[in-house]
Amino acid sequence: MSTPPVAVVGVGQTHHKSRRLDVSFGGLVREAVFRALEDARMTMSDIDAVVLGKAPDLFEGVMKPELYLSDALGAVGKPMFRVHTAGSVGGTTAIVAASHVQSGKHRTVLAVAFEKQSEGNAQFALGSGRGASLGAGGAFAPFIRAYIQRSGAPEHIGWKVAVKDRLNALKNPYAHLKIEDISIEKVKASPMMWEPTRFLESCPSSDGACAVVITDEAGANAAAADGRPPAWVLAASSRSEPPSFPGRDPVRPAAAIQCAADVYAAAGITDPRRQIDTAELYVPFSWLEPIWLEAFGLAEEGEGWKMVDDGTTELGGSLPVNASGGVLSSNPIGASGLLRFAEAANQVRGAAGEHQVDGAKVAIGMAYGANNQYFSTWAVGSSLHPFE
Amino acid sequence: MTRFVESTITFPYKRSLGPVVGAFMTALTEKQILGIRCGDDVLVPPMEWDPATGAELPHEFVEVGPAGTVESWTWVASPSEQHPLDHPFAFALIRLDGATTPLLHAVDAGTPQAVSDGMRVAPRWRGTREGRIGDIICFVPGEVSETEGEDTGGAAEPVTMMDYNASITYRNPIPEAADRATEASRDHRLLGLRCPTCGRVYAGGRGLCPVDAIELGPECEVDLPHKGTITNFAIVTPVQYPGQTETEPFVRAFILLDDTDVIIPYSAVIELPADEIRVGQRVDAVWASPAEETEEGGGMGGSWGSLLGWIPNGEPDLADPDLVNRIF
Amino acid sequence: MSTLSTDIAVIGWAQTSMVRHTDKSETQLLLDAITGAITPLGLTRADIDFTCLGSCDYITGQAFSFVSNLDAIGAWPPKRDSHVEMDGAWALYEAWLRLQEGDIEIAVVTGSGRSSTGDPALIYPMEMDPYFLAPLGADPLTFAALQARAVIAAGIADERSMAEVAVRSRGTGDVETLLTEDFIREPLRRHDVPPITDGAAAMVLATGERARQLVERPAYITGFDHRTECHNPSFRALDDSPSTRIAAEAAGLGTAPVEVAELQAAFSHEELLLRHVLGLGDEVAVNPSGGALRENPIMASGLIRVGRAADHIFGGGSRALAHATSGPCLQQNLICILEERS
Repeated sequence: MSTPPVAVVGVGQTHHKSRRLDVSFGGLVREAVFRALEDARMTMSDIDAVVLGKAPDLFEGVMKPELYLSDALGAVGKPMFRVHTAGSVGGTTAIVAASHVQSGKHRTVLAVAFEKQSEGNAQFALGSGRGASLGAGGAFAPFIRAYIQRSGAPEHIGWKVAVKDRLNALKNPYAHLKIEDISIEKVKASPMMWEPTRFLESCPSSDGACAVVITDEAGANAAAADGRPPAWVLAASSRSEPPSFPGRDPVRPAAAIQCAADVYAAAGITDPRRQIDTAELYVPFSWLEPIWLEAFGLAEEGEGWKMVDDGTTELGGSLPVNASGGVLSSNPIGASGLLRFAEAANQVRGAAGEHQVDGAKVAIGMAYGANNQYFSTWAVGSSLHPFE
Repeated sequence: MTRFVESTITFPYKRSLGPVVGAFMTALTEKQILGIRCGDDVLVPPMEWDPATGAELPHEFVEVGPAGTVESWTWVASPSEQHPLDHPFAFALIRLDGATTPLLHAVDAGTPQAVSDGMRVAPRWRGTREGRIGDIICFVPGEVSETEGEDTGGAAEPVTMMDYNASITYRNPIPEAADRATEASRDHRLLGLRCPTCGRVYAGGRGLCPVDAIELGPECEVDLPHKGTITNFAIVTPVQYPGQTETEPFVRAFILLDDTDVIIPYSAVIELPADEIRVGQRVDAVWASPAEETEEGGGMGGSWGSLLGWIPNGEPDLADPDLVNRIF
Repeated sequence: MSTLSTDIAVIGWAQTSMVRHTDKSETQLLLDAITGAITPLGLTRADIDFTCLGSCDYITGQAFSFVSNLDAIGAWPPKRDSHVEMDGAWALYEAWLRLQEGDIEIAVVTGSGRSSTGDPALIYPMEMDPYFLAPLGADPLTFAALQARAVIAAGIADERSMAEVAVRSRGTGDVETLLTEDFIREPLRRHDVPPITDGAAAMVLATGERARQLVERPAYITGFDHRTECHNPSFRALDDSPSTRIAAEAAGLGTAPVEVAELQAAFSHEELLLRHVLGLGDEVAVNPSGGALRENPIMASGLIRVGRAADHIFGGGSRALAHATSGPCLQQNLICILEERS
């Protein structure tokens, strides 16, 4: 990379639940923030700037919450920034925070993303209050149908992803859904939501927050010297494409392919399947896992489902995907993207606890938003030059 | 002449208060006002954190007021529907006795001449209190608190939640292209707009080409066929929320219009149950009769203008494996 | 910490016509603004390496409202792109940071909103403390009035100097006559408050050599900073704006004089307070454009201040300051310093 190196030195998140009735807005974000600061052995006074990401304000009915949360985030006297790129927002939050440090303008930046969506109703907000909303998954059903047709994937692939992610979540103390008896049969028997996606193949609606501390090379080296390995940001990119026009392919979106190409080129990744040890991909509906495996070059076109089928993407497989349980297990919408980026960072820091992928040196975190239009991705490594 | 569409976003939000705001609201039901200690200061309203530093504050509550002194104020001659009173009042910063910081609230003084910096005010409590800032209806001149209506006492349980109803009405313009397409649908015409630069055709009243970022005016209009093929679809099992209109699974189909590359997305289907829809099915457009009421052009899909939806026309299905990819 | 590049410049910008009420949708406004900004530079949308949009769902009245604004960018092939739920001036900050990375050359930032769409008195309470202030319908006019009282009490402004600001900004009116008008929220009169304006703005940034290839006199960003304060106005001293002071210092205001200062002062007393905090003497031309008191397109108003400051440099000036703000009683403030290069 030609820009100054930056790294993640602290990660924190809340216990994600369908309703965090025990906390206020401020309480929710501070829970994640203090955990991240503690992880970084820092206090609020070490933070030079705060970047907040959140999905539509209609979810909670608080407009521009960065205003209310300025003092809660210890941002008084500091720059406070708010990004919003639909579902990919959590990822964009991390990227913009990294950009703050890479620019040389700020040394240590706190990225925070949250959603307290139980205060409203996500389905309502998605449809801006109108009836016959497609709901969270309605827009993706046609994309999934097209993928299945193109790839010839058997119907059980979606169920397998759902089971995998929920089993992984049992090893993640922060995950929302803990379905001890998750099984293919249970998933198959759950109600159909957006054919072919069933209830247990869909993400929950969660209240939660995530916070990440990003600092410069000196700060990262100090953490390493202190026995707390950082996650070096090898590359990052955000790409968008328009919602709808003849020629758009939502199953292999050009914006996703370009975003991956940007990241791989900057990170020196020429063979993603071999060089990436684990991936946190934004999978709110099970079939998006094979779709993203292919769009991000981790599988050949039409072959992504085989990696699910043969166990490659399981925690014990050769390319674990969503070891954290992913969006399928916890989905505070604004935070979900940042959780992917944070979990990827934790993997290469060796800080993923029970869901640690052994020896993970390079990981990617990816988030998407709207109708497979907005993509944010970063690659993180346990060293700055992991391929040398 | 541009038409406008009004829409109201309204939702009953339910907020959890956390330990500090919760304590404050519970105390309000007891006709007590709490501040929180922050160093040497007493913050009113109480915060979970020191506003200057973000440090967590220990829960040292201090009862303040109930009376206080007006530090500053401004007269509200025409209250909005969200304001605490429906007749003219003063919004004031009121330093309750014992507090370091002032509380914003309404003062019901009758006329602006009756309000002044330094005047003493006391709360007018609502008889039935829920644990919200509105449990104080407003402040009134003097030292003595009042209660309006029958006093039903403090909350039986600590208050942990608060309702918030926001209702905002918006007037958005209907872009000319959308309006023309809706008007054309009244004449049972499906209007498309062809981009002069790339040649793509856009239907459904979309008045610009997102690839070339240019507006498409009436000179770009083309008439589209009323026959097509279902290429893909979503079968939505409805979730209940305020404003939901559906109770049964419903279909939104993607229709590829004959001899074009135009897809009409998220369309309603007629006389086609969800379990019988197929990729490749041949369909015709169904129009509303002039007498039928129809919705404006669809943000949510479904019926659109006078285009009620699509109905199977009995022709043999098209067997083309690429059809399912025709989504956009 | 590496040194920030001062070789990033504003090279052009455009705004749609500023009207009380437009028939155009926000996407149409943006399309016009972007085309208007890039065309005079001989650029097409294909030349844009990075876009960052500023807009607000609650102003527009729809969740994810910015998604349809993508149509105005021409994001095909897919663009490096981002969005902030803030005034375009902060979109500018994000783009400026991004350009520091050195791998791209041209960015476009926008600010857009249709203020006429909804009633600000009903919308803006929703950005206030959700427990103590929003439920009272605590509106921006009320907070502005309370700050005006504090500023007047501190001797920084009085009703006459406020009326003078209004007359100068709008280029019309007579101070004596204005002072006979009724208050609409004492001490504010109608002339002290901003108009409702619909409009959008787009601005082009370029780095180094590319900037110099495209225009004769790029307006180089030599200082750029923003800071926030505690949210609840009742916890703050309203006769001051510390975040403005800190941001200005961090942006290097004190190192050299500015000829022009474009301040996003939607209320007349705000201009006087900001002048005072920034230490701007009479030799500085404040808001020669008329500022937000003349035209106030929400979410673009701050970005336009940068545009007007850039105009001063384009037209031969040496150094200009632009200010943007967000939140009640100037809670958050942004300072951007633009300079010529000899």
